[in-house]
Amino acid sequence: MENEGCPCAGRDGGPKMTRQGFLALAATGLAAAIGAVLSASGLTYFISPAFGKDEENWIDLGPASDIKPGTPVKVDYVERRRDAWVVNEKRSSAWIATADGKEFTAFDPRCTHLGCPYRWDQARGQFLCPCHDAVFSGEGAVVSGPPPRPLDRYSVKIAGGRLLIQPQPQKGA
Amino acid sequence: MNQAFCRVARWVAERTGLDQVWEALFARKIPEASGIAAWLYTLGSASMFVFSVQALTGALLAMNYVPSPDHAYDSVKFISERVLLGSFIRGLHHWGASFMVVLVVLHLLRVYFMGAYKYPREGTWMVGVALLLIVIGLGFTGYLLPWDQKAYWATAVGTNIAGQTPVLGPYVAKILKGGSEMGAATMTRFYALHVLVLPALALGLIAVHLFLVVWHGISEPPSRKDDGGRP
Repeated sequence: MENEGCPCAGRDGGPKMTRQGFLALAATGLAAAIGAVLSASGLTYFISPAFGKDEENWIDLGPASDIKPGTPVKVDYVERRRDAWVVNEKRSSAWIATADGKEFTAFDPRCTHLGCPYRWDQARGQFLCPCHDAVFSGEGAVVSGPPPRPLDRYSVKIAGGRLLIQPQPQKGA
Repeated sequence: MNQAFCRVARWVAERTGLDQVWEALFARKIPEASGIAAWLYTLGSASMFVFSVQALTGALLAMNYVPSPDHAYDSVKFISERVLLGSFIRGLHHWGASFMVVLVVLHLLRVYFMGAYKYPREGTWMVGVALLLIVIGLGFTGYLLPWDQKAYWATAVGTNIAGQTPVLGPYVAKILKGGSEMGAATMTRFYALHVLVLPALALGLIAVHLFLVVWHGISEPPSRKDDGGRP
């Protein structure tokens, strides 16, 4: 009893490794290794949502050539959003405008004031919201009325002649 | 380093008596055995280790699992295919379940053939049999949860077997299924049994079982005595 009074005496009490000491060490080491593998993999599983990448959810709206310059078009689409093991479908729409048939802009179809659906007035060349008489220009800027900011936009890209949008609103610029 | 560790260990020991607990549990006297006989004595600890693995992996699986006919299959698939290490954790739980039954039965056979169930250890044996039934119950209820064809039909067969019992059978089957048809109520019922009722019972009985093991000490391996041919 070299380590008198120590509750863990005898496990690594002396410099010389005894047979019993070696077996105790081996057993403890093996247990520690198994415990480490189990807890490390369990912990990885538990915290894995923190590393998950958000899926890019591009929605195909059809051939880009369908949108004629000068006249914004309201395009209806079905958005499929993956929520873990569930896929939710949501019917929605977006206003697509282009000045030259090359650069496209997609607007969130809700007025930035209180979320009413607005419409395109071809004669005036402006977006009109019927709820509180808001008026937006063809580029989405506020012309008159109560909206606090221009129309919200969605990310747009063209791939293989098809128009793709990502319907997460970015605050109007 | 060693000095500091000793001081901490003593601080804890004086306040909790943990050293005496350690002494009673791990430094207690056990019968001398060697070779295969010595290994047979590890089956109980092995069962308990697999039980704790099942508890850990089960808790993790429950984080992504829904016990409902319209989500169960997809959520299990989600675990296997999309969650990081999900297939590993599910694999551990899957194989651990089978391994648990094997270990527990081997443990029972060892205790039976070594006569370790005899006086004064009958209580340990009885609690052990109850634990065996719980393990089988966990296996039966867990088998349904993935809600694939195998799970569905195995449970259909299982509950039909229960239904064959004279007089009480039909009622037992209905209680198991939560109604006359297998469906949503069966799943929630089996899930509640699998993750709440049976594990809680198992934990309580394991505590009693272990207490009795320590209280009575472990029985010696049987030996043939030369005292007039008596076994």
